[in-house]
Amino acid sequence: MSSKDTCRNELRTAIRQLSDRCLYSASKWAAEQLVGIEQDPAKYTPSNTRFQRGSSSIRRRFRTNEITSTPAAGVSYVSTPVMEEDEVVDGDFYLLAKSYFDCREYRRAAHVLRDQNGKKSVFLRCYALYLAGEKRKEEETIELEGPLGKSDAVNRELVSLERELSTFRKNGMFDPFGLYLYGMVLKDKGSDYLARTVLVESVNSYPWNWSAWLELQSLCTTVDILNSLNLNNHWMKDFFLASAYQELRMHNESLTNYEYLQGTFSFSNYIQAQIAKAQYSLREFEQVEVIFEELLRNDPYRVEDMDMYSNVLYAKECFSALSYLAHRVFMTDKYRPESCCIIGNYYSLKGQHEKSVVYFRRALKLNKNFLSAWTLMGHEYVEMKNTPAAIDAYRRAVDINPCDYRAWYGLGQAYEMMHMPFYALHYFRKSVFLQPSDSRLWIAMAQCYETEQLHMLEEAIKCYRRAANCNDSEAIALNQLAKLHHELGRDEEAAFYYKKDLDRMEAEEREGPNIVEALLFLANHCRAHNRFEEAEVYCTRLLDFTGPEKETAKSMLRGMRTAQSSFPPMDVERFPP
Amino acid sequence: MYAPPALMTVPFPFSSVSQHNRFGLFLFALTKSSDDILEPKLDELINQLREIGDLLYQWLTDQLISRLSSLSSPDDLFTLFSDLRGQYSWSTQNLAQWKMSRLFWTRIVTWECFSGVVCLLSISYVLRYNFFDLMSSSGVCHLLTNIGIYCKEALSTCPNYELPCLDDSHNDLEALSEYENMDLENIVYEKVTEEIEARKMASEKVSFHLHAPEALFGLVEDIEVPAILNSKHGDNCRETCSYAHTPNDALRDIDSSGGAFLRTNWQTEGHGSSFSLNAFEVILRQLQKLAPDLHRVHFLRYLNNLYHDDYFAALENLHRYFDYRTLDCNSFGRYEIALLCLGMMHFHFGHPKQALEVLTEAVCFSQQKIFCFLGNLVMRISFNYFCARTPDGFQFMQHSNDTSLAYTLAAICNLLAEIGISTTTGILGSSYSPITSIGTSLSVQQQLFVLLKESSRIAESLKLKRLVASNHLAMAKFDLTHVQRPLLSFGPKNSMKLRTFPTNVCKELRLGSHLITEFVSERLTMTAEGAFSTAWLKNLQKPMGALVLSQENVSGGSSNAFQFCAQPSSIPGSVMQLVGSSYLLRATAWETYGSAPLTRINTLIYATCFADGLSLSDAALAHVKLIQHLAVFKGYKGNLKLAQQVCDELGVMASSVTGVDMELKTEASLRHARTLLAANQFSQLLFSIHLFPPLFYFCIFTQHSLQAAAVVHSLFCMCYKFNLQVENATVLLLLAEIHKKSGNAVLGLPYALASLSFCQSFNLDLLKASATLTLAELWLSLGSNHAKRASTLIQQALPMILGHGGLELRARAFIAQAKCLLSDPSFSVSQNPEVVLDPLRQASDELQVLEYHELAAEAFYLMAIVFDKLGQVAEREEAAASYKKHMLALENPEDEEDQLINT
Repeated sequence: MSSKDTCRNELRTAIRQLSDRCLYSASKWAAEQLVGIEQDPAKYTPSNTRFQRGSSSIRRRFRTNEITSTPAAGVSYVSTPVMEEDEVVDGDFYLLAKSYFDCREYRRAAHVLRDQNGKKSVFLRCYALYLAGEKRKEEETIELEGPLGKSDAVNRELVSLERELSTFRKNGMFDPFGLYLYGMVLKDKGSDYLARTVLVESVNSYPWNWSAWLELQSLCTTVDILNSLNLNNHWMKDFFLASAYQELRMHNESLTNYEYLQGTFSFSNYIQAQIAKAQYSLREFEQVEVIFEELLRNDPYRVEDMDMYSNVLYAKECFSALSYLAHRVFMTDKYRPESCCIIGNYYSLKGQHEKSVVYFRRALKLNKNFLSAWTLMGHEYVEMKNTPAAIDAYRRAVDINPCDYRAWYGLGQAYEMMHMPFYALHYFRKSVFLQPSDSRLWIAMAQCYETEQLHMLEEAIKCYRRAANCNDSEAIALNQLAKLHHELGRDEEAAFYYKKDLDRMEAEEREGPNIVEALLFLANHCRAHNRFEEAEVYCTRLLDFTGPEKETAKSMLRGMRTAQSSFPPMDVERFPP
Repeated sequence: MYAPPALMTVPFPFSSVSQHNRFGLFLFALTKSSDDILEPKLDELINQLREIGDLLYQWLTDQLISRLSSLSSPDDLFTLFSDLRGQYSWSTQNLAQWKMSRLFWTRIVTWECFSGVVCLLSISYVLRYNFFDLMSSSGVCHLLTNIGIYCKEALSTCPNYELPCLDDSHNDLEALSEYENMDLENIVYEKVTEEIEARKMASEKVSFHLHAPEALFGLVEDIEVPAILNSKHGDNCRETCSYAHTPNDALRDIDSSGGAFLRTNWQTEGHGSSFSLNAFEVILRQLQKLAPDLHRVHFLRYLNNLYHDDYFAALENLHRYFDYRTLDCNSFGRYEIALLCLGMMHFHFGHPKQALEVLTEAVCFSQQKIFCFLGNLVMRISFNYFCARTPDGFQFMQHSNDTSLAYTLAAICNLLAEIGISTTTGILGSSYSPITSIGTSLSVQQQLFVLLKESSRIAESLKLKRLVASNHLAMAKFDLTHVQRPLLSFGPKNSMKLRTFPTNVCKELRLGSHLITEFVSERLTMTAEGAFSTAWLKNLQKPMGALVLSQENVSGGSSNAFQFCAQPSSIPGSVMQLVGSSYLLRATAWETYGSAPLTRINTLIYATCFADGLSLSDAALAHVKLIQHLAVFKGYKGNLKLAQQVCDELGVMASSVTGVDMELKTEASLRHARTLLAANQFSQLLFSIHLFPPLFYFCIFTQHSLQAAAVVHSLFCMCYKFNLQVENATVLLLLAEIHKKSGNAVLGLPYALASLSFCQSFNLDLLKASATLTLAELWLSLGSNHAKRASTLIQQALPMILGHGGLELRARAFIAQAKCLLSDPSFSVSQNPEVVLDPLRQASDELQVLEYHELAAEAFYLMAIVFDKLGQVAEREEAAASYKKHMLALENPEDEEDQLINT
């Protein structure tokens, strides 16, 4: 890892260069990371570090003309390439074009730059054209939504752009930004392989463009593709890998990477949010909640990733926190898909499912491929017992991302509700394949096998066993295992699982009918196997409960005592009942 | 439909009311006639239109062509429909007419593409006739798909950008051309060329389409089939051949047109010989891009995957399709159909257990919803499945096919009973759950029997004619292959004869086809749909067509038997299929019971009249039967190898999955075994047939090729594994014969006896005769003191053998007869030489036709002995020379093979 100073200086330059080329989200990302670097406490006064987190208005400015490009000793990081500015002073036309661009008048911007040949101008012209095409495409998508759901609106600039960009590339007239644009065009066109090559080229020569990394990441659909990329070592690569691992559901690898990055960027909100995401996938809700609370404290108007926080709050049924979050994002920016999802969750927790569907729909209107909205909407429809709609929503979710195990699970659930357990199993299988560590999925699958229709108890047992192995928080699996074994006449196994269940319930200090059931079974079981002392212990414990079991226990105790007093123990052993 | 006579003004294109009405009639017939899958091409339609009248024709054709060629997007088509609605606003029945014309225009569009696709993807007739019928009833979906496909033309004219690069597999290509200015057109061209090459190779490999038809033809012509049927068949063959050659033409044209459209066209016309997975996938992707909400694409993709045996992709796409269909309000019973499709898919891939589970779920599900029609559907599926394969199919138990059917039927009976349509509760009662209670007390066959009875009773009470008919067929099949035992054995054991009842089979078959005929005639007279309309359209092409048109009273025509046969497409596919299977079943039955002429007739009827409407595997089965018949009764005529090859190819057509297409597989294997037997390769047979070959057998026979061993080994295993008892009898007899040939008569005897008892209980008369003969031969070979016994046996079998037996069987009987006489000490040759000589002469004649050198040599040897005893030296020498000739031929089989190759 390069030194913090190096990172800092690199980022500062990058921010300027990126925003100069109107690559605003990349620039935003870079700036976030810049602030995320821990300041040298010896160098700055406490007041400076106090402001280091949170507000971005107060920021120490440095003169960034002297770019330090010293690589860290010992590590084989490539030397940081220095961007050569071909136009040291931006031409007047460029300034005008950039202003137009900033006002979202893309075609005007492109027109202004029509005769400029500098790399920067060429890039901005092409980029403006690309965005103009995208804008038109989105408008058309809304306007032309035909009866067939036809959305064949295309970015009409793509063809000419691609032609132009490929010539540029052949003539070697490209800076990394141009390559990034070319990569995007190729990706839109569907030439994934070439797009990857071009993007790798781009990030190797200019690593600080996070948007380029993101494009590259979206093209890495498998680990093999990811490993086959020929990337230079740079600290930005670590960000990329962490993010790519997360997408590929290699959460632990991703976490390791992020924790490593935190060494330098210890205050990065981005990294924190990503860690939260990974923890969320690992179902560590407590940790996620802590992280998000901190994030919200530092960055109260943050909307990104907050839908995940709302999911956690929903799962934990933290009503007031969710309500607070919903109101806050509503005030901040209510027309963002994330906000809509949060509000949808809020209504769902309130039990107003129709309203929540409205908000999920709105989220989808804002972004048709907003995955979690589809899944959550499916959940709502399930709640509303509208299974066909739920199935449709879930199916759209898995078609957008076939790795969404929640949606697969939802599909299974929906079909189970339709009393099609065998059909549902197909989906549950998909779901557990993607998330084998989630006990709920195994339990759902087991219940499917258990249904009267299928009655495949052996398979159910296998599933429950898996569920019990992955830390079944609701403690269904052990009890069910015991019951099933009992049903199948395997009392030893049943006793084993009842005992295990009992131990667990004791450890968690839980009460409930399961305890009574376990105690009763164990008492009977021990008595049948002549372990009277153990049986007596269980019976005595049963006496603490009310209900018919208490009476049973009493009579059992009485029976055992009389049996023991009338027969010498030797006889009992000799003639087992 | 008709313009009212009072209407004075006729819409523009028509010059008179009658012309108007004629056109109306034409349209009406056209829209109704196309219940089948194969629909006329555009040019055919134009030809038909020409019959209606010159003026009108010109106008209509112009309109039609200009309209169709100006279509560039789905929206255009919608506009077209709206226009049509305005233009053809004839008289009062506006709406109905509009609907009709919509259907009409849809069809025009579809002819070009969709029928081709469907034919091409005809994985199994079950899918085609049941599901597709049902699906296409959701006509809108159908329409949209077709429009989408049609739009590929528009797409191909768009900038090349539209052509998606398919997947990573094309990345290499892409990478290669990366530095060559990204000329996408080149890529497309290369892709097409590659595919053409692949296709060429494929069509070369699948040589069946190239030579087998002629070969079959020769055989068919041999029995003097009426020429008209023959030529029809011939056309089909030619068509197939020409399709196989299309790539060359396509290649020629490729430069001139965009590529994509051409490619699609040529694919959709490919008719199933070979069809590339990716090529169709390209179309589907384009289609999906055009209309993302058109979920039918997923179904087509599923069919494509199914056709290419891609299990996982098929599973995925099927699920996807039905997931999306859940929101489709019009799709009645969509979940059931999803389950049924899934079940069929599992069947197709040979997962009977999953299939059973899925079907059970389908039934359970429909039970909740109380969808009556679904019971019908499940029933049809099951029966189709049942008919298409042997009843003793699968292996998850020994009789799992029965089980699956039984369970499904049980559930259906339950379903139907609970709906309350049938009031009586039947033997099983109505409270059982499908899986649990029935399986315990009765054997699978008994369950099947009970359920068949029950379901046919219910079907009858519901007046589901097709179902009843298929029920009868299933019942006939059951009777054919199962010995019935008393269902409930109360009290003293009643002595029941453990035999099958041929009369029952006949009865069921008759009842089945009776209902089918009824159904057809009912359709003809009452609804005047389908059959009549097609007949009417066909008549148009004849010169007298105009006459028919001018008559108002067109419904007077009645169809005779010939029409029925010659125009099979006029009847809905499912009925056709039923009729066809009834004939095939008849053929099987007669084959089993040993009547050669009836087998031949029924198979011929099937192969000629029902050839175009039915599944490949059934057709193949029929052809196997025919080949076999010809081989047995006409001799090999030197075409042993060819017969063998055709047979192999037919066998290959059967699904490679275990437990599927059992009937075809057994037939083909048996046929192969018989061919080997005829080619004097018994030893190999024995080596493979015998389960525990003693070591010395092994030593003797290892010198022979293992190829034959593999065939019969698999046959043997199959019969035992799938409990094919009828075939078991044959295999046992085969074993006995092999032992006889290898000189171990004692070992052969038990096999012959076992076979005999099988034959008795299954009423396999011809086989029984043949087994008796073998038994007699075995006794004979044990020594002359057994001649008496052998003679009695031969006398028993002789009437049957002479009446129905093949050449070989008869010859063997004659020789055995002569041998008996010769070894009888009380018989004197000199007194009555003709008694011996006559059968021997006949035998030698027949064996020479068969080129069965070994037996022929034996016959001549015996003749020589007789002549020697009689002292007729010249005749003796002649017989001896013949003997020598055959012995030489026997020792040098290569010569013949060379001849074969040369010819």
